[in-house]
Amino acid sequence: MFKKFRKKSPWILHYNAGSCNGCDIEILACLSPKYDLERFGVINTGNPKQSDIFLVTGPVTMRSRERLVELYTQMPEPKVVIAVGSCTCTGGVFRDMYNVEDGIDRYIPVDVYIPGCAASPELIIDGVVKALDILEKKTKEREKPFRLFKDFTLKDGIVSRRESALRIGDDDAKD
Amino acid sequence: MIEIILILLAPFVGGLLYGFERIVRARMQNRQGPPLLQPFYDMFKLMDKQALMIHPYHTLLGILHFLTLWIVVALVICGANLLYIVFLHLFSSLLLVVAGYSVRSIYSHLGANRELLSIVAYEPLLIALSVAFFILYGSFDIEVIRENKSALLELFPLFLAFLLLLPIKLKKSPFDAAEAHQEIVGGVEIEYSGIFFEFLYMAKWLEYIFVYLLLFLFAGDSLLMASILGVIVFLGINLVDNATARVRIDHLLAIVMGIGLTLAVLNLIGLSYV
Repeated sequence: MFKKFRKKSPWILHYNAGSCNGCDIEILACLSPKYDLERFGVINTGNPKQSDIFLVTGPVTMRSRERLVELYTQMPEPKVVIAVGSCTCTGGVFRDMYNVEDGIDRYIPVDVYIPGCAASPELIIDGVVKALDILEKKTKEREKPFRLFKDFTLKDGIVSRRESALRIGDDDAKD
Repeated sequence: MIEIILILLAPFVGGLLYGFERIVRARMQNRQGPPLLQPFYDMFKLMDKQALMIHPYHTLLGILHFLTLWIVVALVICGANLLYIVFLHLFSSLLLVVAGYSVRSIYSHLGANRELLSIVAYEPLLIALSVAFFILYGSFDIEVIRENKSALLELFPLFLAFLLLLPIKLKKSPFDAAEAHQEIVGGVEIEYSGIFFEFLYMAKWLEYIFVYLLLFLFAGDSLLMASILGVIVFLGINLVDNATARVRIDHLLAIVMGIGLTLAVLNLIGLSYV
């Protein structure tokens, strides 16, 4: 019954998972007078328990990984996740580096990918509007964070990749 | 009869006022702003969200905060005893503070601390206001205040002190340290979600109605003066909100207790001895 109102008041949670701040600046530009995302009812809440859209920037660094999953699990359903910028989608220029995971979709399900380094405000607005269409179709079923690697041992989906990292001396410790 | 309709409509009028204010604030920043019914869209969306409870009492205190605030607004509309209304309003704010302390979130505790400090700052002003009306008319009843002529000239220092109180109650810059949206993530409202957050959201609208009804007391029986005062204060508050930064909570206490309380006490002394 209230499904159509989801589209009209999306509240955003913005999380920086180790970004260079380029995409963050563009997100703030969207909310500022020139692009004015607030005309769609968007509020930048900063509180995961009250938000609908999870805007993530940055390749997931080792330090920010647990917080990313924690913030994701704290958000009530229905929710959508938007990956803003090349780093967040694939790892970008940081791909395959020792201190980053390559993109947030290794840990949480992503609904919209916004490419670009940094993603332009027009693209971000397009992505948010696209995410609103997806938000309207979502059910209230709980979505869980996951992990694509084989050594999935912990129950909450947070696994350190340092355990499976290549150590000096053994050849095929890493798969 | 008309009072019952007004009481029932109070949250909706508050929501419209809040939506209109968001448009006004956006236009002041040269933006288009959200639609007028945006607060109601938010409300319906929050009904649809999954609600996470911390523990039942925390939720119950939030709902009680909303209900007592509605009773306060109802009593103001009916013209009840002003002193009683001020203390019931204090009780309603304290429910929220207790709710803030009842969860383990640090931000919630910080918000509750700041909420208490801001209550310490503005509560003497409200009591001074009711005492001033008592000195003038010999009664605390709002009905009596509404029957008399406007007391704006006699109570002008208190009116200025009341203007200091407005941004605290409406959670606006420069006195919004108790809520501080990006800094302590909303303070006491951080742990509420879904339909339970909606009660706090609606309580915010009722706070608007309460504060503006108190403002109209300065206009006495003149409807024209009440509307002029309302429009000027509404625009002024939003202009100040857009133009100033947040002050720290200790500065808030110093400013409101220093300037506001001095003005209020001077006014009371003037009323009783001059």
